[in-house]
Amino acid sequence: MAENILVIGGGPAGLHAAIELAELGVNVSLVERDTFLGGNPKKFKYKYLFPDLQPADDVIGELIRRTESNGNIKKYFSANIESFKEEGKKFNAVIKSDSGSETKTFDSIIVATGFEHFDPAKDSKYSYQLFDDVIDIKDLERMMGEGNFTRPSNGKTPKNVAFILCVGSRDRHVGNQYCSRVCCTVSVKQAIELREHFPETEVYIFYMDIRTYGFYEDLYWKAMEEHDVQIVKGRVAEITSGPDNTVICKGEDTLLRGPFEIPFDMVVLASGMEGGPQSPEMANKLGIELDEHGFLKYANVTLSPCKSNKDGIFLAGACTGPKAIADAIIEGGAAAMNAYIYAKKNS
Amino acid sequence: MEYDENGVSIVSNEFKKEIFEEAKKDFRYEEYVKGCLNCGVCTGGCPPHRFFDFSPRMVLQNCKSNDPELVWGMMDEYVWACFQCFTCAMICPFLNNPGGVIAILREISVRRGFESAKKVLKPYSRVLLKLTAYGNQLSPDMIQPDFFPDWGPHIGYASQDLPLKRKAIPMPTLQVTNLAWDVAPEAMKELYTIFEEAGVFKIIEVVDPALYEIIQDIVDDVRSE
Repeated sequence: MAENILVIGGGPAGLHAAIELAELGVNVSLVERDTFLGGNPKKFKYKYLFPDLQPADDVIGELIRRTESNGNIKKYFSANIESFKEEGKKFNAVIKSDSGSETKTFDSIIVATGFEHFDPAKDSKYSYQLFDDVIDIKDLERMMGEGNFTRPSNGKTPKNVAFILCVGSRDRHVGNQYCSRVCCTVSVKQAIELREHFPETEVYIFYMDIRTYGFYEDLYWKAMEEHDVQIVKGRVAEITSGPDNTVICKGEDTLLRGPFEIPFDMVVLASGMEGGPQSPEMANKLGIELDEHGFLKYANVTLSPCKSNKDGIFLAGACTGPKAIADAIIEGGAAAMNAYIYAKKNS
Repeated sequence: MEYDENGVSIVSNEFKKEIFEEAKKDFRYEEYVKGCLNCGVCTGGCPPHRFFDFSPRMVLQNCKSNDPELVWGMMDEYVWACFQCFTCAMICPFLNNPGGVIAILREISVRRGFESAKKVLKPYSRVLLKLTAYGNQLSPDMIQPDFFPDWGPHIGYASQDLPLKRKAIPMPTLQVTNLAWDVAPEAMKELYTIFEEAGVFKIIEVVDPALYEIIQDIVDDVRSE
Protein backbone atom coordinates (compact mmCIF):
# COMPACT_ATOMS: atom_id res chain seq x y z
CA MET A 1 0.00 0.00 0.00
CA ALA A 2 1.26 3.45 -0.88
CA GLU A 3 2.47 5.78 1.83
CA ASN A 4 0.52 8.94 2.70
CA ILE A 5 2.57 12.06 3.27
CA LEU A 6 1.33 15.55 4.08
CA VAL A 7 3.17 18.56 2.65
CA ILE A 8 2.21 21.91 4.18
CA GLY A 9 3.04 24.86 1.94
CA GLY A 10 3.08 25.17 -1.86
CA GLY A 11 6.18 27.32 -2.34
CA PRO A 12 9.44 26.19 -4.00
CA ALA A 13 10.40 23.80 -1.14
CA GLY A 14 6.93 22.28 -0.72
CA LEU A 15 6.37 21.86 -4.45
CA HIS A 16 9.72 20.16 -4.99
CA ALA A 17 9.13 17.85 -2.01
CA ALA A 18 5.64 16.96 -3.30
CA ILE A 19 6.93 16.20 -6.81
CA GLU A 20 9.80 13.99 -5.58
CA LEU A 21 7.48 12.02 -3.28
CA ALA A 22 4.81 11.66 -5.95
CA GLU A 23 7.40 10.27 -8.35
CA LEU A 24 8.30 7.67 -5.71
CA GLY A 25 4.64 6.60 -5.77
CA VAL A 26 3.62 8.28 -2.52
CA ASN A 27 0.12 9.72 -2.08
CA VAL A 28 0.85 13.35 -1.38
CA SER A 29 -1.60 15.80 0.19
CA LEU A 30 -0.42 19.34 -0.55
CA VAL A 31 -1.98 21.99 1.67
CA GLU A 32 -1.73 25.60 0.47
CA ARG A 33 -3.13 28.60 2.38
CA ASP A 34 -3.48 30.70 -0.82
CA THR A 35 -5.61 30.04 -3.86
CA PHE A 36 -2.59 29.35 -6.07
CA LEU A 37 0.70 27.44 -6.03
CA GLY A 38 4.20 28.98 -6.12
CA GLY A 39 4.45 30.74 -2.75
CA ASN A 40 6.00 34.16 -2.36
CA PRO A 41 7.85 34.10 -5.74
CA LYS A 42 4.45 33.75 -7.44
CA LYS A 43 2.53 36.02 -5.07
CA PHE A 44 4.96 38.91 -5.54
CA LYS A 45 5.68 38.12 -9.20
CA TYR A 46 9.43 37.66 -9.00
CA LYS A 47 10.82 38.16 -12.48
CA TYR A 48 14.44 36.99 -12.62
CA LEU A 49 16.22 34.79 -10.11
CA PHE A 50 19.85 35.17 -9.09
CA PRO A 51 22.57 34.13 -9.73
CA ASP A 52 22.10 33.52 -13.47
CA LEU A 53 19.09 35.84 -14.00
CA GLN A 54 16.95 33.05 -15.42
CA PRO A 55 13.24 33.88 -15.66
CA ALA A 56 11.42 32.96 -12.44
CA ASP A 57 8.74 31.29 -14.53
CA ASP A 58 11.28 28.74 -15.79
CA VAL A 59 11.80 27.66 -12.19
CA ILE A 60 8.57 28.32 -10.25
CA GLY A 61 6.35 27.82 -13.30
CA GLU A 62 8.03 24.48 -13.99
CA LEU A 63 7.51 23.31 -10.40
CA ILE A 64 3.82 24.30 -10.58
CA ARG A 65 3.30 22.55 -13.92
CA ARG A 66 4.89 19.32 -12.65
CA THR A 67 2.79 19.45 -9.49
CA GLU A 68 -0.43 20.06 -11.36
CA SER A 69 0.14 17.27 -13.85
CA ASN A 70 0.99 14.62 -11.25
CA GLY A 71 -1.96 12.42 -10.31
CA ASN A 72 -0.37 11.38 -6.99
CA ILE A 73 -0.60 14.90 -5.58
CA LYS A 74 -3.91 15.96 -4.05
CA LYS A 75 -3.98 19.74 -3.74
CA TYR A 76 -5.96 21.70 -1.14
CA PHE A 77 -6.35 25.48 -1.62
CA SER A 78 -7.31 28.21 0.89
CA ALA A 79 -6.45 25.42 3.26
CA ASN A 80 -5.18 24.95 6.77
CA ILE A 81 -4.74 22.17 9.27
CA GLU A 82 -7.78 22.50 11.48
CA SER A 83 -6.83 19.86 13.99
CA PHE A 84 -3.93 17.53 14.45
CA LYS A 85 -3.37 14.41 16.55
CA GLU A 86 -0.56 11.88 16.86
CA GLU A 87 -1.56 8.26 16.87
CA GLY A 88 1.34 5.91 17.50
CA LYS A 89 3.82 6.59 14.73
CA LYS A 90 1.14 8.14 12.50
CA PHE A 91 -0.60 11.49 12.36
CA ASN A 92 -4.30 12.30 12.03
CA ALA A 93 -5.09 15.69 10.53
CA VAL A 94 -8.27 17.51 9.60
CA ILE A 95 -7.64 19.57 6.47
CA LYS A 96 -10.05 22.44 5.99
CA SER A 97 -10.05 23.94 2.49
CA ASP A 98 -12.28 25.58 -0.10
CA SER A 99 -13.66 22.12 -0.83
CA GLY A 100 -14.68 21.39 2.77
CA SER A 101 -13.16 19.40 5.65
CA GLU A 102 -11.36 16.11 5.27
CA THR A 103 -9.82 13.84 7.89
CA LYS A 104 -6.75 11.89 6.84
CA THR A 105 -4.04 9.73 8.36
CA PHE A 106 -0.42 10.40 7.37
CA ASP A 107 2.80 8.44 7.74
CA SER A 108 4.91 11.58 7.89
CA ILE A 109 4.71 15.33 7.40
CA ILE A 110 6.79 17.99 5.68
CA VAL A 111 6.35 21.57 6.88
CA ALA A 112 7.33 24.13 4.21
CA THR A 113 5.40 27.18 5.32
CA GLY A 114 8.01 29.68 4.13
CA PHE A 115 8.59 33.25 5.19
CA GLU A 116 7.06 36.73 5.06
CA HIS A 117 8.74 39.79 3.54
CA PHE A 118 9.65 42.26 6.30
CA ASP A 119 7.26 45.22 6.24
CA PRO A 120 9.55 48.30 5.99
CA ALA A 121 6.81 50.51 7.47
CA LYS A 122 7.78 48.93 10.80
CA ASP A 123 11.04 50.94 10.74
CA SER A 124 9.96 54.57 10.62
CA LYS A 125 13.35 55.99 9.62
CA TYR A 126 12.87 54.77 6.06
CA SER A 127 9.59 56.65 5.48
CA TYR A 128 8.07 53.71 3.58
CA GLN A 129 4.41 54.42 2.79
CA LEU A 130 5.09 58.08 3.60
CA PHE A 131 6.71 58.89 0.26
CA ASP A 132 5.44 57.23 -2.91
CA ASP A 133 8.94 56.94 -4.35
CA VAL A 134 10.23 54.83 -1.45
CA ILE A 135 9.58 51.19 -2.37
CA ASP A 136 11.15 47.88 -1.39
CA ILE A 137 12.79 45.03 -3.30
CA LYS A 138 9.59 42.99 -3.56
CA ASP A 139 7.74 46.04 -4.94
CA LEU A 140 10.54 46.58 -7.48
CA GLU A 141 10.53 42.91 -8.41
CA ARG A 142 6.78 43.13 -9.10
CA MET A 143 7.24 46.35 -11.11
CA MET A 144 9.97 44.74 -13.22
CA GLY A 145 7.85 41.60 -13.58
CA GLU A 146 4.91 43.64 -14.85
CA GLY A 147 7.21 45.68 -17.08
CA ASN A 148 6.25 49.06 -15.63
CA PHE A 149 9.25 50.38 -13.76
CA THR A 150 8.54 54.10 -13.24
CA ARG A 151 8.44 56.51 -10.33
CA PRO A 152 5.17 55.92 -8.46
CA SER A 153 4.86 59.67 -7.83
CA ASN A 154 4.84 60.83 -11.46
CA GLY A 155 5.19 57.83 -13.77
CA LYS A 156 8.57 58.96 -15.12
CA THR A 157 11.86 57.07 -15.31
CA PRO A 158 14.02 58.04 -12.30
CA LYS A 159 17.31 59.89 -12.84
CA ASN A 160 18.84 58.11 -9.87
CA VAL A 161 17.92 55.27 -7.54
CA ALA A 162 19.31 54.32 -4.11
CA PHE A 163 19.25 50.80 -2.72
CA ILE A 164 19.42 50.57 1.08
CA LEU A 165 20.55 47.21 2.44
CA CYS A 166 19.73 45.47 5.73
CA VAL A 167 16.22 46.94 6.12
CA GLY A 168 14.55 44.88 8.85
CA SER A 169 17.62 42.68 9.23
CA ARG A 170 20.61 42.88 11.59
CA ASP A 171 18.78 45.45 13.67
CA ARG A 172 17.90 44.98 17.33
CA HIS A 173 15.40 47.84 17.13
CA VAL A 174 13.12 45.97 14.75
CA GLY A 175 13.74 42.72 16.63
CA ASN A 176 15.54 40.89 13.83
CA GLN A 177 19.16 40.35 14.73
CA TYR A 178 19.85 37.89 11.92
CA CYS A 179 21.07 38.47 8.35
CA SER A 180 18.38 37.64 5.78
CA ARG A 181 21.08 36.24 3.44
CA VAL A 182 19.47 36.97 0.08
CA CYS A 183 18.68 40.72 0.10
CA CYS A 184 22.25 41.81 -0.80
CA THR A 185 22.29 39.53 -3.82
CA VAL A 186 18.73 40.43 -4.84
CA SER A 187 19.56 44.15 -4.57
CA VAL A 188 22.75 43.81 -6.62
CA LYS A 189 20.85 41.75 -9.18
CA GLN A 190 18.14 44.42 -9.38
CA ALA A 191 20.76 47.20 -9.60
CA ILE A 192 22.27 45.44 -12.64
CA GLU A 193 18.81 44.98 -14.20
CA LEU A 194 18.04 48.69 -13.73
CA ARG A 195 21.35 49.74 -15.26
CA GLU A 196 20.79 47.38 -18.20
CA HIS A 197 17.24 48.59 -18.91
CA PHE A 198 17.73 52.25 -17.99
CA PRO A 199 21.36 53.19 -18.72
CA GLU A 200 20.63 56.86 -17.99
CA THR A 201 19.61 56.04 -14.40
CA GLU A 202 22.37 56.31 -11.78
CA VAL A 203 22.27 53.54 -9.18
CA TYR A 204 23.69 53.70 -5.65
CA ILE A 205 23.84 50.95 -3.04
CA PHE A 206 24.26 51.92 0.62
CA TYR A 207 25.53 49.07 2.75
CA MET A 208 26.70 48.06 6.20
CA ASP A 209 28.29 44.92 4.72
CA ILE A 210 27.74 43.39 1.30
CA ARG A 211 27.00 39.71 1.79
CA THR A 212 26.80 38.28 -1.71
CA TYR A 213 28.12 34.98 -0.37
CA GLY A 214 29.83 32.26 -2.38
CA PHE A 215 29.62 32.57 -6.15
CA TYR A 216 27.12 35.45 -5.86
CA GLU A 217 30.22 37.59 -5.34
CA ASP A 218 30.50 37.49 -9.17
CA LEU A 219 27.32 39.58 -9.40
CA TYR A 220 28.66 42.16 -6.99
CA TRP A 221 31.90 42.63 -8.91
CA LYS A 222 29.98 42.73 -12.17
CA ALA A 223 27.73 45.49 -10.79
CA MET A 224 30.81 47.64 -10.10
CA GLU A 225 32.95 46.72 -13.08
CA GLU A 226 30.43 46.46 -15.89
CA HIS A 227 27.50 48.56 -14.73
CA ASP A 228 29.11 51.39 -12.77
CA VAL A 229 26.87 50.92 -9.73
CA GLN A 230 28.03 53.25 -6.95
CA ILE A 231 28.55 51.24 -3.76
CA VAL A 232 28.83 53.35 -0.61
CA LYS A 233 29.61 52.14 2.93
CA GLY A 234 27.11 53.70 5.32
CA ARG A 235 23.68 52.77 6.62
CA VAL A 236 21.08 55.46 5.84
CA ALA A 237 19.84 57.14 9.03
CA GLU A 238 16.88 59.03 7.69
CA ILE A 239 14.80 59.51 4.55
CA THR A 240 13.11 62.85 4.14
CA SER A 241 11.52 64.88 1.37
CA GLY A 242 13.76 66.93 -0.92
CA PRO A 243 13.46 69.63 -3.58
CA ASP A 244 11.91 68.93 -7.01
CA ASN A 245 9.89 65.95 -5.85
CA THR A 246 12.91 64.00 -4.60
CA VAL A 247 13.56 62.00 -1.45
CA ILE A 248 16.75 62.74 0.48
CA CYS A 249 18.84 59.95 1.93
CA LYS A 250 20.82 61.16 4.92
CA GLY A 251 23.71 59.20 6.35
CA GLU A 252 27.44 58.90 6.80
CA ASP A 253 29.83 57.60 4.16
CA THR A 254 32.10 56.02 6.76
CA LEU A 255 35.01 55.42 4.39
CA LEU A 256 35.30 58.39 2.07
CA ARG A 257 33.02 61.41 2.09
CA GLY A 258 31.72 61.61 5.64
CA PRO A 259 28.19 62.96 6.10
CA PHE A 260 25.96 62.99 3.05
CA GLU A 261 22.48 64.16 2.11
CA ILE A 262 21.70 63.01 -1.42
CA PRO A 263 18.39 63.63 -3.23
CA PHE A 264 17.11 60.59 -5.12
CA ASP A 265 14.20 60.10 -7.49
CA MET A 266 13.60 56.67 -6.01
CA VAL A 267 14.71 54.63 -3.01
CA VAL A 268 14.54 50.83 -2.89
CA LEU A 269 14.64 49.22 0.56
CA ALA A 270 16.21 45.76 0.74
CA SER A 271 13.70 44.43 3.23
CA GLY A 272 14.57 41.07 4.72
CA MET A 273 12.71 37.88 5.60
CA GLU A 274 10.68 37.05 8.69
CA GLY A 275 9.23 33.80 10.01
CA GLY A 276 5.75 35.27 9.73
CA PRO A 277 2.66 34.32 11.77
CA GLN A 278 2.53 30.86 10.18
CA SER A 279 5.70 29.69 11.98
CA PRO A 280 4.36 30.00 15.57
CA GLU A 281 1.01 28.68 14.29
CA MET A 282 2.70 25.52 12.96
CA ALA A 283 4.81 25.19 16.11
CA ASN A 284 1.63 25.32 18.23
CA LYS A 285 -0.46 23.01 16.10
CA LEU A 286 2.12 20.31 15.45
CA GLY A 287 4.00 20.63 18.74
CA ILE A 288 7.35 21.45 17.12
CA GLU A 289 9.90 24.02 18.28
CA LEU A 290 10.30 27.65 17.29
CA ASP A 291 13.73 29.31 17.45
CA GLU A 292 14.56 32.68 19.03
CA HIS A 293 14.33 34.39 15.63
CA GLY A 294 10.75 33.33 14.95
CA PHE A 295 11.53 30.50 12.49
CA LEU A 296 10.99 26.75 12.96
CA LYS A 297 13.89 24.97 14.63
CA TYR A 298 16.00 22.14 13.22
CA ALA A 299 16.64 19.15 15.49
CA ASN A 300 20.33 19.37 14.60
CA VAL A 301 21.45 22.09 12.26
CA THR A 302 24.46 20.16 10.95
CA LEU A 303 23.52 16.51 11.11
CA SER A 304 19.81 16.54 10.29
CA PRO A 305 18.80 19.92 8.93
CA CYS A 306 15.47 18.68 7.63
CA LYS A 307 14.22 17.14 10.87
CA SER A 308 12.09 18.92 13.44
CA ASN A 309 12.36 18.00 17.09
CA LYS A 310 9.43 15.62 16.61
CA ASP A 311 9.88 12.22 14.88
CA GLY A 312 8.05 12.04 11.57
CA ILE A 313 7.76 15.80 11.05
CA PHE A 314 10.28 17.31 8.65
CA LEU A 315 11.13 20.90 7.69
CA ALA A 316 12.08 22.44 4.35
CA GLY A 317 12.70 25.86 2.86
CA ALA A 318 12.53 29.33 4.36
CA CYS A 319 10.36 28.27 7.33
CA THR A 320 13.65 27.41 9.08
CA GLY A 321 15.41 30.68 8.21
CA PRO A 322 16.08 33.07 5.32
CA LYS A 323 17.43 31.31 2.26
CA ALA A 324 17.66 31.46 -1.51
CA ILE A 325 15.16 29.66 -3.75
CA ALA A 326 17.87 27.24 -4.90
CA ASP A 327 18.56 26.23 -1.30
CA ALA A 328 14.83 25.91 -0.54
CA ILE A 329 14.44 23.51 -3.48
CA ILE A 330 17.41 21.41 -2.32
CA GLU A 331 15.87 21.20 1.14
CA GLY A 332 12.52 20.19 -0.36
CA GLY A 333 14.27 17.19 -1.93
CA ALA A 334 16.16 16.33 1.25
CA ALA A 335 13.01 16.55 3.37
CA ALA A 336 11.17 14.34 0.86
CA MET A 337 13.86 11.67 1.26
CA ASN A 338 13.70 11.90 5.07
CA ALA A 339 9.90 11.78 5.11
CA TYR A 340 9.86 8.82 2.69
CA ILE A 341 12.32 6.80 4.79
CA TYR A 342 10.28 7.47 7.94
CA ALA A 343 7.03 6.48 6.23
CA LYS A 344 8.59 3.33 4.75
CA LYS A 345 9.94 2.19 8.13
CA ASN A 346 6.63 2.61 9.89
CA SER A 347 4.08 1.47 7.35
CA MET B 1 47.43 72.76 32.09
CA GLU B 2 49.43 72.04 28.93
CA TYR B 3 47.87 70.98 25.62
CA ASP B 4 49.14 69.04 22.63
CA GLU B 5 48.75 70.08 18.97
CA ASN B 6 45.18 68.69 18.93
CA GLY B 7 44.11 70.79 21.91
CA VAL B 8 44.09 67.75 24.19
CA SER B 9 45.47 68.32 27.68
CA ILE B 10 48.71 66.48 28.41
CA VAL B 11 48.47 64.00 31.28
CA SER B 12 50.29 60.78 32.21
CA ASN B 13 49.35 57.42 30.66
CA GLU B 14 48.42 56.18 34.14
CA PHE B 15 45.93 59.01 34.52
CA LYS B 16 44.34 58.30 31.11
CA LYS B 17 43.98 54.68 32.14
CA GLU B 18 42.41 55.70 35.46
CA ILE B 19 39.80 57.84 33.68
CA PHE B 20 38.92 55.08 31.21
CA GLU B 21 38.62 52.56 34.05
CA GLU B 22 36.31 54.97 35.88
CA ALA B 23 34.07 55.17 32.82
CA LYS B 24 34.03 51.39 32.37
CA LYS B 25 33.16 50.90 36.03
CA ASP B 26 30.01 53.01 35.62
CA PHE B 27 26.98 50.73 35.92
CA ARG B 28 25.59 52.05 32.61
CA TYR B 29 28.73 51.47 30.53
CA GLU B 30 28.10 47.83 29.70
CA GLU B 31 24.56 48.61 28.61
CA TYR B 32 25.68 51.51 26.40
CA VAL B 33 28.64 49.89 24.63
CA LYS B 34 27.84 46.77 22.60
CA GLY B 35 29.13 45.70 19.16
CA CYS B 36 29.83 48.13 16.30
CA LEU B 37 30.33 47.46 12.59
CA ASN B 38 30.89 51.07 11.53
CA CYS B 39 27.61 51.31 9.65
CA GLY B 40 27.52 55.04 10.42
CA VAL B 41 23.77 55.27 10.97
CA CYS B 42 24.33 57.07 14.31
CA THR B 43 26.56 59.73 12.78
CA GLY B 44 24.28 60.03 9.75
CA GLY B 45 21.41 60.94 12.05
CA CYS B 46 23.45 63.06 14.51
CA PRO B 47 22.39 66.76 14.57
CA PRO B 48 25.71 68.22 15.88
CA HIS B 49 27.60 66.21 13.24
CA ARG B 50 26.27 68.74 10.72
CA PHE B 51 28.03 71.57 12.56
CA PHE B 52 31.00 70.15 14.46
CA ASP B 53 33.72 67.59 14.17
CA PHE B 54 31.66 65.23 16.31
CA SER B 55 30.71 61.66 15.45
CA PRO B 56 28.90 59.22 17.75
CA ARG B 57 30.41 56.42 15.67
CA MET B 58 33.88 57.59 16.72
CA VAL B 59 32.74 57.77 20.37
CA LEU B 60 31.75 54.11 20.19
CA GLN B 61 34.84 53.08 18.22
CA ASN B 62 37.16 54.86 20.66
CA CYS B 63 35.53 52.98 23.55
CA LYS B 64 35.67 49.65 21.68
CA SER B 65 39.37 50.21 20.96
CA ASN B 66 40.12 49.77 24.67
CA ASP B 67 42.79 52.46 24.19
CA PRO B 68 42.75 54.98 27.11
CA GLU B 69 44.60 57.44 24.85
CA LEU B 70 41.66 57.62 22.40
CA VAL B 71 39.11 57.99 25.19
CA TRP B 72 41.15 60.73 26.87
CA GLY B 73 41.33 62.53 23.52
CA MET B 74 37.57 63.14 23.80
CA MET B 75 37.56 64.50 27.35
CA ASP B 76 38.51 68.14 26.71
CA GLU B 77 36.29 69.42 23.94
CA TYR B 78 34.82 66.47 22.09
CA VAL B 79 32.37 65.33 24.77
CA TRP B 80 30.87 68.83 25.01
CA ALA B 81 29.87 68.95 21.32
CA CYS B 82 27.10 66.35 21.84
CA PHE B 83 23.53 67.71 22.06
CA GLN B 84 22.41 64.79 24.27
CA CYS B 85 19.42 64.26 21.97
CA PHE B 86 20.03 60.46 21.91
CA THR B 87 19.06 60.12 18.25
CA CYS B 88 22.11 57.81 17.95
CA ALA B 89 20.72 55.50 20.63
CA MET B 90 17.33 55.45 18.92
CA ILE B 91 18.65 54.30 15.55
CA CYS B 92 21.74 52.16 16.29
CA PRO B 93 20.98 48.62 15.08
CA PHE B 94 23.14 47.18 17.86
CA LEU B 95 21.32 49.26 20.53
CA ASN B 96 24.54 51.11 21.40
CA ASN B 97 24.13 54.42 23.20
CA PRO B 98 26.98 56.81 22.25
CA GLY B 99 25.08 59.74 23.81
CA GLY B 100 24.93 57.77 27.05
CA VAL B 101 28.70 57.20 26.93
CA ILE B 102 29.10 60.97 26.53
CA ALA B 103 26.96 61.49 29.64
CA ILE B 104 29.24 59.14 31.62
CA LEU B 105 32.39 60.95 30.41
CA ARG B 106 30.88 64.38 31.13
CA GLU B 107 30.00 63.33 34.65
CA ILE B 108 33.59 62.22 35.23
CA SER B 109 34.81 65.55 33.89
CA VAL B 110 32.47 67.48 36.21
CA ARG B 111 33.13 65.30 39.26
CA ARG B 112 36.87 65.75 38.84
CA GLY B 113 36.57 69.45 38.07
CA PHE B 114 38.42 69.34 34.74
CA GLU B 115 39.14 72.73 33.18
CA SER B 116 36.91 71.96 30.18
CA ALA B 117 33.95 71.25 32.46
CA LYS B 118 34.45 74.53 34.31
CA LYS B 119 34.68 76.44 31.04
CA VAL B 120 31.57 74.84 29.59
CA LEU B 121 29.45 75.24 32.72
CA LYS B 122 30.37 78.90 33.31
CA PRO B 123 27.60 80.38 31.09
CA TYR B 124 25.07 78.23 32.91
CA SER B 125 25.88 79.60 36.38
CA ARG B 126 22.63 81.62 36.47
CA VAL B 127 20.60 78.53 35.65
CA LEU B 128 22.56 76.45 38.16
CA LEU B 129 21.90 79.06 40.83
CA LYS B 130 18.14 79.14 40.22
CA LEU B 131 17.94 75.39 39.97
CA THR B 132 19.87 74.48 43.10
CA ALA B 133 18.67 77.37 45.29
CA TYR B 134 14.99 77.45 44.29
CA GLY B 135 14.22 74.38 42.18
CA ASN B 136 13.30 76.51 39.16
CA GLN B 137 15.29 76.52 35.95
CA LEU B 138 14.29 79.82 34.35
CA SER B 139 12.51 82.89 35.70
CA PRO B 140 11.24 86.15 34.13
CA ASP B 141 14.03 88.26 35.68
CA MET B 142 16.60 86.20 33.79
CA ILE B 143 15.33 87.70 30.55
CA GLN B 144 17.98 90.39 30.14
CA PRO B 145 19.29 91.88 26.88
CA ASP B 146 22.89 90.78 27.54
CA PHE B 147 21.95 87.13 27.90
CA PHE B 148 19.57 86.81 24.97
CA PRO B 149 21.15 88.63 22.02
CA ASP B 150 19.59 86.04 19.71
CA TRP B 151 16.11 87.31 20.59
CA GLY B 152 16.78 90.40 18.51
CA PRO B 153 15.39 93.90 19.16
CA HIS B 154 12.36 92.55 21.07
CA ILE B 155 14.49 91.60 24.06
CA GLY B 156 14.52 95.20 25.30
CA TYR B 157 10.73 95.33 25.46
CA ALA B 158 10.45 91.81 26.84
CA SER B 159 12.73 92.58 29.78
CA GLN B 160 10.82 95.68 30.98
CA ASP B 161 7.84 96.02 33.36
CA LEU B 162 7.99 92.37 34.31
CA PRO B 163 5.55 92.47 37.29
CA LEU B 164 2.89 94.13 35.14
CA LYS B 165 3.35 91.67 32.29
CA ARG B 166 3.18 88.75 34.70
CA LYS B 167 -0.18 90.01 35.96
CA ALA B 168 -1.46 90.18 32.39
CA ILE B 169 -0.88 86.46 31.83
CA PRO B 170 -4.36 84.88 32.02
CA MET B 171 -3.31 82.05 34.34
CA PRO B 172 -2.07 81.99 37.92
CA THR B 173 1.66 82.82 37.95
CA LEU B 174 1.67 83.55 41.70
CA GLN B 175 2.87 87.05 40.79
CA VAL B 176 6.61 86.43 41.18
CA THR B 177 9.28 87.55 38.74
CA ASN B 178 12.38 86.09 40.36
CA LEU B 179 10.94 82.57 39.96
CA ALA B 180 8.67 80.75 37.54
CA TRP B 181 6.30 80.16 40.45
CA ASP B 182 6.36 80.77 44.17
CA VAL B 183 8.26 77.91 45.80
CA ALA B 184 7.34 76.99 49.38
CA PRO B 185 10.29 76.99 51.85
CA GLU B 186 9.42 73.40 52.82
CA ALA B 187 9.89 72.33 49.20
CA MET B 188 13.21 74.15 49.00
CA LYS B 189 14.45 72.51 52.21
CA GLU B 190 13.57 69.07 50.87
CA LEU B 191 15.37 69.91 47.66
CA TYR B 192 18.53 70.90 49.57
CA THR B 193 18.49 67.56 51.38
CA ILE B 194 18.22 65.75 48.04
CA PHE B 195 21.05 67.82 46.49
CA GLU B 196 23.23 67.20 49.53
CA GLU B 197 22.59 63.44 49.56
CA ALA B 198 23.10 63.16 45.80
CA GLY B 199 26.36 65.10 45.93
CA VAL B 200 25.13 67.96 43.72
CA PHE B 201 26.41 70.70 46.04
CA LYS B 202 29.78 68.97 46.22
CA ILE B 203 30.04 68.96 42.40
CA ILE B 204 29.23 72.69 42.23
CA GLU B 205 31.88 73.36 44.88
CA VAL B 206 34.42 71.62 42.61
CA VAL B 207 33.52 73.32 39.30
CA ASP B 208 32.51 76.80 40.57
CA PRO B 209 33.55 77.66 44.17
CA ALA B 210 32.21 81.27 43.94
CA LEU B 211 28.77 80.10 42.83
CA TYR B 212 28.83 77.49 45.59
CA GLU B 213 29.29 80.27 48.21
CA ILE B 214 26.29 82.21 46.90
CA ILE B 215 24.09 79.11 46.85
CA GLN B 216 25.15 78.12 50.37
CA ASP B 217 24.21 81.59 51.68
CA ILE B 218 20.69 81.18 50.28
CA VAL B 219 20.47 77.63 51.64
CA ASP B 220 21.47 78.83 55.12
CA ASP B 221 18.92 81.67 54.99
CA VAL B 222 16.04 79.41 53.94
CA ARG B 223 16.96 76.78 56.53
CA SER B 224 17.12 79.28 59.37
CA GLU B 225 13.68 80.76 58.59
